[in-house]
Amino acid sequence: MNKTLLNIIRFVVLVLAQVLLVNHIRLGGYVHPYIYVIFIMLLSVTMPKWQVLTLGFVLGFCVDMFTGTPGLHAGATTLMAFCRPSVLRLVSGHQKLENVHEPNIGQLGGPWFLRYVACLVLVHHFALFFLESFSFRLLGQVFLRIVLSVPVSVFLIMMILYLFDLGKKKESH
Amino acid sequence: MYNLRRFILKHHFVILFILLEVISILLLARSQNFHRNRLVSGTNVVVGNIHEMGSDVGGYFHLRQANKQLAEENALLRKQISVVTDTATNTYTLLDHDTIYEYIPARVVNNSTGMANNYIVINKGKVDGIKRDMGVISSEGIVGVVTDVSLHYASVMSLLHSKSFVGVRFKNSQQLASLRWNTGNYRFGMVEDIPTHVELHKGDTVLTSSYSFIFPEDMMVGTVEDPSVSSTDALNKAEIRFATNFATLRHVYVIHNLHKPELDSLKANFLDK
Repeated sequence: MNKTLLNIIRFVVLVLAQVLLVNHIRLGGYVHPYIYVIFIMLLSVTMPKWQVLTLGFVLGFCVDMFTGTPGLHAGATTLMAFCRPSVLRLVSGHQKLENVHEPNIGQLGGPWFLRYVACLVLVHHFALFFLESFSFRLLGQVFLRIVLSVPVSVFLIMMILYLFDLGKKKESH
Repeated sequence: MYNLRRFILKHHFVILFILLEVISILLLARSQNFHRNRLVSGTNVVVGNIHEMGSDVGGYFHLRQANKQLAEENALLRKQISVVTDTATNTYTLLDHDTIYEYIPARVVNNSTGMANNYIVINKGKVDGIKRDMGVISSEGIVGVVTDVSLHYASVMSLLHSKSFVGVRFKNSQQLASLRWNTGNYRFGMVEDIPTHVELHKGDTVLTSSYSFIFPEDMMVGTVEDPSVSSTDALNKAEIRFATNFATLRHVYVIHNLHKPELDSLKANFLDK
């Protein structure tokens, strides 16, 4: 129950932060960072996959309501949620995820998390910018957007995750 | 039947994924049409209110710039009024029925510049007299066209849209051409369909043409930035710098063309024959 509440708060805060703050970041017109995908990244590893998928769709749809682009973010986050199990397997390698419930930096380490975040952000941005242009006419621009936005998103997401983990440690000590 | 159930249970993850993706793409495909789904066009009340709260806070940081812009516009209008009153004297008075265009002031509550298709949401809607296909300008230049209206908000297709198309005219040569946006950069647009004999220079002014029922004639569009964009066609292209800075857009005017119903009915008659 407590966990559900935490997830709801995370959901609302991340969507609002995305549409009210991050969407207004303008660096030359090509850089578009997206941080709301943190929600999907931090969902419990043991959560049924179909639930992650549904939550991904709902999350994307909520962002779409604000940006006025029905189906755009929903499509991208759904694909990202679909890829999450494979990405988890890919970045973990031999490392066991058995006693990990919620992916966190403290338990899994910075490098693991960086790989995890980078893979998922790449999937998400790739889908997002392709769906957005809705054609292959502007391929060059789409790739430029992906190449420039992914590092910024990853950087912002890692910063946010580190800030939150620091907060947790202080509380527990 | 049993097999079907087993199949669905076994592959429920993939089936759900495909289902959700199909829904997304259908929604997206539908939204590519000019007239869009009201629920998700950013114009519904909850979303509009949240955007407005956000832009209220952000607005304070731009007050100085907004003030300066409005003061400059005031100065320009004062200058124009003095010219009109000088020449008009007593022989001509401005009557209500001489007014073709009405301007409805509005504030931008949401805006994007970095996508391939950008939309702007403004805080005026049906109750303020906003209708579809009305032009939107800022004090610097033209901005876009209203595509969707709710009670209190409207969404505007920005010039920064792959389907954006505006009839323009070069101030020097009077040459008509068309403006599109495919540069990917929010500062620059592309004027196409320019006959090769027309000489272009950097800094030439581009204005709206008189053939558009959306924008009044001679509205500022931008200036030529790169006249030498090569093209294999018989027609030239030129890159222009938009007069409007879309990244800092806050105050806009929606243009109400009072003669539009008349023009539309004329056009409809023409099409019937």
